[in-house]
Amino acid sequence: MTEMNDPKHNLEQIQNWLQTVITHPDGVETGVASEEARQLINVGAENIEQIITRSKSLDSFSRLHVYGNAYYARLLECLGEEYPTVKHAAGEETFQAIAIGYLQSHPSKSYTLGELGKDFSNYLQEIRPEKDPDSNQPDWADFIVDLAILEKIYGEVFDGPGVEEVSLLDAGKLQSISPEAWPGCRFEFAPCFRLLKLRFPIHEYVTAVRQQKQPQPPEPEETYLAITRRNYIVRRRAINRNQFLLLQSLFANTSIGESIEQLAGEHEIDASDFAELLQQWFSAWTAAGYFLQVVPTEKSL
Amino acid sequence: MKEHRLGHPHLGFGVGLRTVHFSYILENHPPVDWFEIISENFIDSLGRPRYILEQIAERYPIVMHGVSLSIGSTDELNFEYLGKLKKLSSDINANWVSDHLCWTGVAGRNTHDLLPIPLNEETLAHVVHRIGIVQDYLERPLVLENPSSYLTFADSTMTEWDFISRMAKESGCGLLLDVNNVYVSSFNHDFDPTEYLRSIPHEHVVQFHLAGHTDYGTHLIDTHDGHVVDNVWELYRLAHELTAGVSTLLEWDAKIPEFPVVHAEVLKAKTFIGDEVPPELLDVQEPDIEDDARPTVPHPLTFIPAEVE
Repeated sequence: MTEMNDPKHNLEQIQNWLQTVITHPDGVETGVASEEARQLINVGAENIEQIITRSKSLDSFSRLHVYGNAYYARLLECLGEEYPTVKHAAGEETFQAIAIGYLQSHPSKSYTLGELGKDFSNYLQEIRPEKDPDSNQPDWADFIVDLAILEKIYGEVFDGPGVEEVSLLDAGKLQSISPEAWPGCRFEFAPCFRLLKLRFPIHEYVTAVRQQKQPQPPEPEETYLAITRRNYIVRRRAINRNQFLLLQSLFANTSIGESIEQLAGEHEIDASDFAELLQQWFSAWTAAGYFLQVVPTEKSL
Repeated sequence: MKEHRLGHPHLGFGVGLRTVHFSYILENHPPVDWFEIISENFIDSLGRPRYILEQIAERYPIVMHGVSLSIGSTDELNFEYLGKLKKLSSDINANWVSDHLCWTGVAGRNTHDLLPIPLNEETLAHVVHRIGIVQDYLERPLVLENPSSYLTFADSTMTEWDFISRMAKESGCGLLLDVNNVYVSSFNHDFDPTEYLRSIPHEHVVQFHLAGHTDYGTHLIDTHDGHVVDNVWELYRLAHELTAGVSTLLEWDAKIPEFPVVHAEVLKAKTFIGDEVPPELLDVQEPDIEDDARPTVPHPLTFIPAEVE
């Protein structure tokens, strides 16, 4: 511990002290008095000018306030821009309280603000209030968590790897695969493709909020989304449960034949009944740009 | 004769590239001389921001301006980050790479603020040493900006202009002289901004920044949310005389108006140094800036929200 009357502090000491003080959630005065700060530089409020000098117009604490206020304001603004629908649904005040808790437990450790909210949906899940034991319906907290999950994926897909510069599977290539080879093949998915199962049909709600509208929160309903990016814009499509299960299986690199059999087996129906439907699905998914190519599975080689 | 701007070209009068102007720039190809990008918005992008940047870089000179180098921190330099800076600067043929004389965090954390350091012999040696490492790695001179600051340390033993003068001479780095920041800091720390401008090594000044700030009476905050004030224009005129003119860039980061307004603001710089500007470029509709009740957040903010159908 440094003596209070030490005239000099090394840079590491000063930096750790200042960071502790300006990021303290209860303000810079509490920050200076905190045990953590006093372990670094043992200075009390009455001697703060030994560390931070005053100006003609502002005392030392007022000057520290500029940085303390800016720290949370800046990061709250960024988190709000990354999760605008969570902020809208939760309300400004609640969002701010949650976000400050998140920033305290998950301070940024990256050079980019793009990483700031990466654990936000998990954090919301961790701090959610206990569910009503008498209800098996998804509740408001589930709704907020679902929103955060979807907005996080939107961010990843928007600025992650895409398919704008590569050739995708097209209808011609799809149709050129012989019926015999088809079951032994698998799809290679676009790197921006995501599948999502949600407890609320929030995709329209999220779009409306992002368009500055005031939509009503939807009622709970099991919802499945296929998400990708075309022409640098995130695209999302609601799909039904069977489509989700089939895409999920295909996404796990299971062969087309095996994936179809699994789905048909689950519904105890003949795979041949699916034929027309499957053709429609695969055509639509190909047109939507979900697939890079169809390749033989190792087993079929 | 001294070599001006460390040999860098005078790019003219540029504007900070911001997402709200992407479409306007691509559709209208405005007659702006060059753009400065916030490096962190693009070094990891594999989406629309990077795609737009590549199109703009084909048509306009680009300078990379970062906010996360943290040259003054006692944490280790982040070579993953430096590697990404180096790659992007090569990919888009950036004219130079700049950041700030500051630290952004310590103990592995990033406050995403441009925090000041005490100005003394120890910190000068520390910064000069790290500039050398960065310059060796990037294989080009680093350009560092004087940030606005809102506090000073009892441990400082020299003025900021003495510090950056020695820093530039000892490390060989370039200076990005933010004229607004000199003014903001001079108000906040009670010094004469003209003494600052007269004292620095002018041959090291590669670029100027101009921006608006917010006056809180007792202090100024570098908010980049409005017009450049007259006092800063006067300082700009002096800085221009002292350096014989360098690339000049206008930053507007909050309450951002239409592109022509931002462009017109930087073109005012030409009128202050006696150059002619086509009148139609200065004849723009003034922005209708609503007062915002939210607290004002000092620069920098560098998050690009996703675009979703």
